[in-house]
This record gives sequence, C-alpha cells and structure tokens, in this order.
Amino acid sequence: MPSNRLHKALVVSHKPAGRGYFRLVLKAPEAARAALPGQFVMLRVSDTLDPLLARPFGISAVISRTSLEIVYRVVGKGTTRLTAAKPGQTLHLLGPLGAGFPQPDKKTIPVLVAGGSGFPPLHFLTQRSGARAHLFLGARDKECLPPAGIVQSLKKTAAKVHIATDDGSAGVQGTSTDILNAFLLKMEQKAHLVLYACGPHAMLAAVSRIAAEHAIPCHVSMEERMACGLGACMGCSVPMKAGGYKRACKEGPVFDSREIDWSEQVFLKIKK
Amino acid sequence: MKSEIRNPKSTIGNPDLSIDFAGIRLKNPVLTASGTFGYGEEFAEFVDLNRLGGVIVKGISLKPIKGNPPPRIWETPSGMLNAIGLENPGVDVFLNEKMPYLRKYDTAVIVNMFGYSLEEYVGVAERLDGVAGISGIEVNISCPNVKAGGMAFGTDLRATFGLLSAVRKATRLPLIAKLSPNVTDVTAFAKAAADAGCDGLSLINTLLGMAIDVRCRKPRLANCTGGLSGPAIRPVAVRMVWQVARSVSLPIIGMGGIVTGEDALEFMLAGASAVAVGTANFINPRATLDVLNGIEGFLREQKIGSLREIVGKVDAG
Repeated sequence: MPSNRLHKALVVSHKPAGRGYFRLVLKAPEAARAALPGQFVMLRVSDTLDPLLARPFGISAVISRTSLEIVYRVVGKGTTRLTAAKPGQTLHLLGPLGAGFPQPDKKTIPVLVAGGSGFPPLHFLTQRSGARAHLFLGARDKECLPPAGIVQSLKKTAAKVHIATDDGSAGVQGTSTDILNAFLLKMEQKAHLVLYACGPHAMLAAVSRIAAEHAIPCHVSMEERMACGLGACMGCSVPMKAGGYKRACKEGPVFDSREIDWSEQVFLKIKK
Repeated sequence: MKSEIRNPKSTIGNPDLSIDFAGIRLKNPVLTASGTFGYGEEFAEFVDLNRLGGVIVKGISLKPIKGNPPPRIWETPSGMLNAIGLENPGVDVFLNEKMPYLRKYDTAVIVNMFGYSLEEYVGVAERLDGVAGISGIEVNISCPNVKAGGMAFGTDLRATFGLLSAVRKATRLPLIAKLSPNVTDVTAFAKAAADAGCDGLSLINTLLGMAIDVRCRKPRLANCTGGLSGPAIRPVAVRMVWQVARSVSLPIIGMGGIVTGEDALEFMLAGASAVAVGTANFINPRATLDVLNGIEGFLREQKIGSLREIVGKVDAG
C-alpha cells in the first residue's frame, strides 16, 4: 500500500553546528512539501536493533522544495549514533507527523518562546510567519543557547530576538519567562498577540501561566518520549485538565496550553 | 481444537500459508500483537490490512481506562519498557467506533480483553459474543502494569483456571489465553487454560522490568515497573513456546521480539502455529508485511510447500 509518509531520506549534509548541536539536511521531497511548522519526523538513527526505537525530531526548516533541516543536540545513545550518518547514505524517516501550530493570521503578532533544545519548531514557524514575530530565547549560559547559525537565522527572519541567560553571559540576566513577562507588561495593546512555545515542561508551564495572566492565547509544543509516532503505542501521553490523556504524536505535539494539566506534568517530570 | 494447516497439497512455487487456528481461519500466520497496532486504522496507511492473517486489537475493558501517568515508556538495549496501564476507550466505543472500520477488511479480528474483576472479564466476553466480524477473543491475564487485574490472575493457577472457565461460559467465540511469562513454570498455566476450555494460547506477554535514572535516583517510569518487549526478550519467548508446545495440545500464537521472517520461523519451529508482530510495528510500520514476506521467501528458498513441515519441527535431539 503506498504511503507518502514513510521515506528513505537521503543525507544531503550533516555537520556540527556548534554548542553541541548538529545540523542534518535530509532530502525527502514528499515530506518537505507537506511539512508544517510544529510537526515532527521519526528518524531511525541506524539499521541495527540497538538503539531500537526511532527518535522524534521537530522540523527546524524546509530549506528547498525537496529538503528538510533537523537541528539536534547530542544527548544520548540515539543522537550519538545519529552523528555517524554520512552524506549520501539514507535514513528511515516517518513523517511529517502530528498537528503543528495553528497558522498565525494576518493580524497576529507571534510571540515565540524557546527553551533548551526546543527552538527547531519555532525556527520553522519564523521562516513561515516570522516578519512580525518577537522571539524569546532563554538558557543557562551563552553556550547553552541555540547554535550561532540558528540565532543568526532567527534574527534575520523575526522582528526582534530577545535573549536571557541565567548568568548574564549573553543577553539579559534572567530567564526567558522573566523577559517575556517584562515585555508583555510594557505592551499596552495585546489583542493580536499569540504565544507559541517549545522547551522543557517547567518552562512551558511558566509560559502557560504568563499567557493566562495576560489573557493571551498560547500554543505549546510538547517534547515527549515516543515509540511509534503514529498514535498506537500510547507512550507519549500528555495529561489533560479535562481528565485523561492526549497523545503528543497524534493530537499534539502542539496543544492549547489551557488544555494541559500542568500540575501532573511538572510534578512527575521536573526532577531537578 | 488443534490447529490445522489447510491445503497441504499446495505447490512449492507458491507456498500456502493459510491455517485454521483454534477454529479461526487465517489466510496466513502473521498477526499483530495487542497494544502495538492500535485498532488497525492507525497502520492502514502503511499496511494493506487485507494481507494480514489477522489483527489482535489493543486490549478492551468494560469501562474506559485512562491509563498510567507519564513517563510511560523507556528504551532498553534492543527493547523497551512500557507501563501504559491498558488505556482504552471501553467495549462500547470499541464496538460502535472501531469494529465498523475493521469489518471492512478481509482479515481475522481477534479482540484482546481484560478486566479488574472476574465479573468484568465475563461482562466484556458477553458483549463480544456474536458480534459480526469478531473471529475470536484473546484473554489478557498477564498485563504486568495494572495492580488489580491482569497479572494477578495470570500468576495464580487457581485464579487462572477460575477466570478462564467463567469467560468460557460467557462466549462461544474461540478463546485464546494470553499467558504471563512472569511465572516459574509456564506449562502449568498452559494446562490450566486447556482445562478451562480455551481453544488456543498466546505467549508471551511482556516480562516485568525496571530501569532507574541514576542521577535523579528515580525510576524511569512513573509506574516504577513496566513490561519489557522487543528483540531483547525473544529467546525467553521462544523457550516458553517450546516448553508449552511439548506439554499441551492447544495451538499457540508465538510472540516476543519478532522483527523478521526468520524470527517468526524460530517460534514456529518451537511449536507456534501463528505469530504476532509487536514492538517491531513501532520501529517499522510495515514490519508485519516484512515478516510475512520473510516467511514466504524462506519457504520458497527451502522448497517447503506447507507450514506443517515447520510447526514444532525443531530438532531438539
């Protein structure tokens, strides 16, 4: 049965991008054509059975009619193995998957908040609708920010990039949510603002609280561990305020922040 | 009911893979393991369901179950731990919303079900009995991730016999017991299932496991423990199928880490009449067809005309 979401993606280019990240360009024409900001792909990092599962990666850009860009940080067994992929070889790619960000309308002023390695889907969003966007980046220190190439690219497409680091080594000293909140407090006209956020759960919970305080709609992209990416394994469940769970891979990864039961998320997952 | 292999006179060039499993006609021995293939629809984009021997659907209970809190999965060497907690929409939603879709396909539908009490198991069996398009019931007495039901029945011989006897009375559908590997002697449970009137056996369910984040000193799963699946457990599963096949006459669906046709053939040589592909569906949505093509290719290559020449034919001396 023909499927247009299961691909053998050709590695076009694969290089360290700085700050512990790699930039991977994959040729997968159907996936590139269909991809929307906020969607993700499942990549098998090798043909062996260890590591077993494919890994989910937010799409960071569509760079031509045929190619996708993935920017990932090397954090474990899967991403370490992936760094060995060489240009010319193919990787099993499933996607694009999930529900992306609702598309900003003409009047919308997108306010993007990226924490940790959660910037790729927001980078893709600025590519498509970034002209009026304000982007907030937060990290522990300068070296934990997105790679310089990505920051450059964000500065080029977004209206303004606001940076905060815990130690003040880049941008303002503080967190992304501190500077977001300060920005929103100064804004008198909030009618067209819409928040889009991706990053650690604790940051998303904070952004969600700020959005509620300022009565601004907020869409969060949830990064979860996944096995299948297709809605079958029920592994990537996100707790809902209305009770029960929704699947990050199917109903998400992007959710209206008001839907999520943040107390359960934060309680269970933020361990540090 | 013993499994019978149909049409043994088939030609060697085109091996006949159809079988009669516990009274269920299967066009080939490749099924989907419960909980790894949703209700079929999730994979229909990648797999023509008509090509499968059958679909064993995700476990159904009398009432909807919301499942365990996250994190629910953790990858391990060549395997994964899961503690989903049997999340499912309940038997009414299954019958009203999932069955109409599955009925469109020419493939056997085997409904995996469970309960938190004997009465709930019986209740689900009664609801499934006589429903058009359902070929059989797989009774889950072996889920390691729920406290009240599941494994509590499947690791106690008397409870296993009592439960399966009660379910047997509630339905005329072919009844397959999915046994727990988390016991010392799986053959005793296989015999209890046979004595209770089951028509077939599924083995194995996941092995109870645990993983710990050493920096946070916390279990990787919110449920603390979970079920281990994937290629890592295959040798355990093959061994259990072999032991059970030698001790009871019920036909067996073998499962546990099957990724390729050769993996499936290991189970069949050990004594399984059919196989189910599980965790492999997660890493390759077309895994079922790869397994099917692998079996077919092997039979051709070995000039074997019928599965009868394979099932239980390991030369164990």
